[in-house]
Amino acid sequence: MRRETQNILLVLLGGALLKISFSGMYLRYVQKSLLPLLIAAGVVMIGLALFAIVTDIRRGRAEAAEAGHEHSSRSTWFLLLPVMAVFLISPPALGGDIVNSAADTNQTQRSRNLLGELPSGDVIPLSMTEFVTRTAWDESGTLDGRRVKLTGFLLRADGETYAARIAISCCAADARPLKVRLGGDVPALPDEQWVEVTGQVVPKSANETNSWVPSFTVDSFTPVAEPVEPYES
Amino acid sequence: MTITGEIRSSKRRSGPPRLKITSLEVLCGILVLALLFQSRLVDLLDVPKLRTASTVFVAICVQAMPFLVLGVLISGAIAAFVPASALRRLLPSKTALAVPVAGVAGVALPGCECASVPVARRLMQQGVAPAVALTFLLAAPAVNPIVLVSTAVAFNDTPMMVVARFAGSLLTAMVMGWLWVRFGKMEWIAERALARMSDHSGRNRWAVFAESARHDLVDAGGFLVLGGLFAAAFKTFVPTAWMQTLGAQIVLGVLVMAVLAVVLALCSEADAFVAVAFSALPLLPRLVFLVVGPAVDVKLIALQAGAFGKSFAFRFAPATFVVAILCAVLSGVVLL
Repeated sequence: MRRETQNILLVLLGGALLKISFSGMYLRYVQKSLLPLLIAAGVVMIGLALFAIVTDIRRGRAEAAEAGHEHSSRSTWFLLLPVMAVFLISPPALGGDIVNSAADTNQTQRSRNLLGELPSGDVIPLSMTEFVTRTAWDESGTLDGRRVKLTGFLLRADGETYAARIAISCCAADARPLKVRLGGDVPALPDEQWVEVTGQVVPKSANETNSWVPSFTVDSFTPVAEPVEPYES
Repeated sequence: MTITGEIRSSKRRSGPPRLKITSLEVLCGILVLALLFQSRLVDLLDVPKLRTASTVFVAICVQAMPFLVLGVLISGAIAAFVPASALRRLLPSKTALAVPVAGVAGVALPGCECASVPVARRLMQQGVAPAVALTFLLAAPAVNPIVLVSTAVAFNDTPMMVVARFAGSLLTAMVMGWLWVRFGKMEWIAERALARMSDHSGRNRWAVFAESARHDLVDAGGFLVLGGLFAAAFKTFVPTAWMQTLGAQIVLGVLVMAVLAVVLALCSEADAFVAVAFSALPLLPRLVFLVVGPAVDVKLIALQAGAFGKSFAFRFAPATFVVAILCAVLSGVVLL
């Protein structure tokens, strides 16, 4: 592959990284904390490519090719794939498919800091991670009788309706799906519609036989737009 | 030996010079076609499975690129600013003694596995013994502070996991280094990987830095993407559910988790959070997952094949796989 082509590919790839960084699209793929690194990586890529282009033009082609000793490999063409994926397809955040195909839904770990006292108040907003962790590990029943607000997307499987959410620790490749079975008055909305549900947990409903999926009695139900951060962390 | 882009492309020239088709024209052609058929392409991928796969693929690339960039910048800096003699002075002259030094030096590279491949190759080019560079390659992604802290956060109830992971990974790296001293053959490593940079005297050091970094990035980037493609396909299309049910049995569990670590190709900073979620399994198989993952996975095999050549990667990866399992089990039995 020619040097010019390599440089153009680098500019495109760096541009793709900057595009997802500034448009907020990066939150579909990675954690929020990666943003400064992503921007830096995009800037460095474009910088290196521009530096090479400028020096090549100044020096003239022949000498530049000699100085750069290229053992051109065809693998560099693969750089085009993420570029095209970002600019042309821009894959959406993970959704129902990963939750349905996962066997390890609601795998949580016992963790002291998650099992402290619940805040007081009529309705307590909880992350799906905290809610599911408490239903699986908290034997003292701190959630019982409390009204909780959860945010997730709808999912129907085996005649049941679930509110689901995905947690990631680094990028979408390490997604951990979480889901809660909804009972009570659930309107017929399309799958993957994001909702805020308020209600109460059915005490002791999460156990090993149902893979720690708790049941949730819904008393109010609001469709919402997809949150800016689709994943919990 | 060096093939310049000029010569490469001239081979394809058939006929009069006005029919010249180089990679540049090919790239433009692909881009135009992609733009023309964009909506067709989007429709084609509008199947839940493919959508998931493309998201995971982009996620792996996006998450790894900053670390690859960090790696090529360090590699470029070594090429431009660290004379080969300084490296030789820094390391014990006996290779067998330099191996543990390189293993511990891995603590200083705060990145995941993508960063360490270009750095290890540059070390070899600067005259560091391959065994030493390979030890560094294996140790750096597994024993650096970021990885250890994230392991500690994930396994906050079993702090010994951090110690066991550190010990298992460091041991793997050193054993592989010593094995290379004893059995390794230079001819397994592709010649291009060891080609020394031309003499830079007289050239601006910053220009050398930028050119080395750019060259490494172009070289390794493609292989990283290839590895990401494999990992995304495995993650999406190979059901792993049965693996986890099998995993409850200890010997089988160790093997299954080792294979899973290879095919999932998780970033070493994130794998602890995944391992902790396999709560049905005992600690030992999960430790194996953490030790094997940063040492050998599909993304890394692709990167190594690119950096050191196929005949190297196809010997090194299986050997590392076996050594990593043994070291992890040893460390787990002693420490957990």
